[in-house]
Amino acid sequence: MRDEDTYADLTALFSAEDREQEAKPFVDQVMGRIRAQARIRKLLLVVTGVGGALLAASQLPKLLADTVGLDASLTTSIIQVQTDASALASANPLWLGIAAIVGLSLLAVAAMERT
Amino acid sequence: MRTDPDLAADAARGSDTAFAELVRRHQARVRGMSRRLTGSASDGDDIAQATFLTAWQKIATYAGGTFSAWICMICYREFLQVRRRQRPEIELDETAEIIPFDRSVPDAGDKLDLSRALAKLPEAQRICVTLCVAAGLSHREAAEATGWPLGTIKSHVNRGVAALRKHLAADQVA
Repeated sequence: MRDEDTYADLTALFSAEDREQEAKPFVDQVMGRIRAQARIRKLLLVVTGVGGALLAASQLPKLLADTVGLDASLTTSIIQVQTDASALASANPLWLGIAAIVGLSLLAVAAMERT
Repeated sequence: MRTDPDLAADAARGSDTAFAELVRRHQARVRGMSRRLTGSASDGDDIAQATFLTAWQKIATYAGGTFSAWICMICYREFLQVRRRQRPEIELDETAEIIPFDRSVPDAGDKLDLSRALAKLPEAQRICVTLCVAAGLSHREAAEATGWPLGTIKSHVNRGVAALRKHLAADQVA
């Protein structure tokens, strides 16, 4: 015989006592609190999201301008370097070697600098 | 009728109507359990509410099995938390004969012989009887919830049931 079988009558008494409690007000109260918490969580998420979006939007013009400016200057520089290199190479290839050594030296110094 | 695990799965996906059905199904057991643990209808209902709020937050961790056992375990932990806040200096002593939860205010609705008889039990027996006899947890589930050894649970339940029957019989004679 299982242990639980020895007190089935008491379990039935307790269950009968439990069933006397009115369910609806309690369920409504619990679900009301759960829904209130959910509303607060949603509100916080929306406020945080909108705040983040506004912050991002305020930085966007500067970011775009910087990005576009960088792209333009980079493109210009690359074209200029290509043009100069072609001119130097056609005039005297030695200048290319000298420029490469100077460039590499400067790169090495720049790479080793901490600040 | 949809099963508890189905409703719990829906609740875990955010369905508050599924969770409301779970609350409706299990509120009597949880409220009864928390009222018996605290000895007070209002304190018990506060703990029962906290139990369901915690259950809603942790519903995704419910891994099947008996939902009533899962919710009763949460209820017992909520009871311990409330009691620690109420009496932080008192540690639960499973051999204690005192009833540390504040029972100074008698409950108007707490007039049934059963409740009175239960209140006369030592705390450890009352907890074990509440969990196993009233809430329907198995001895193993009660051992898991309380952290007490299985043998201790069985012993407290047996002695508690015997004492409860004795008190009930005495009440009926009187």
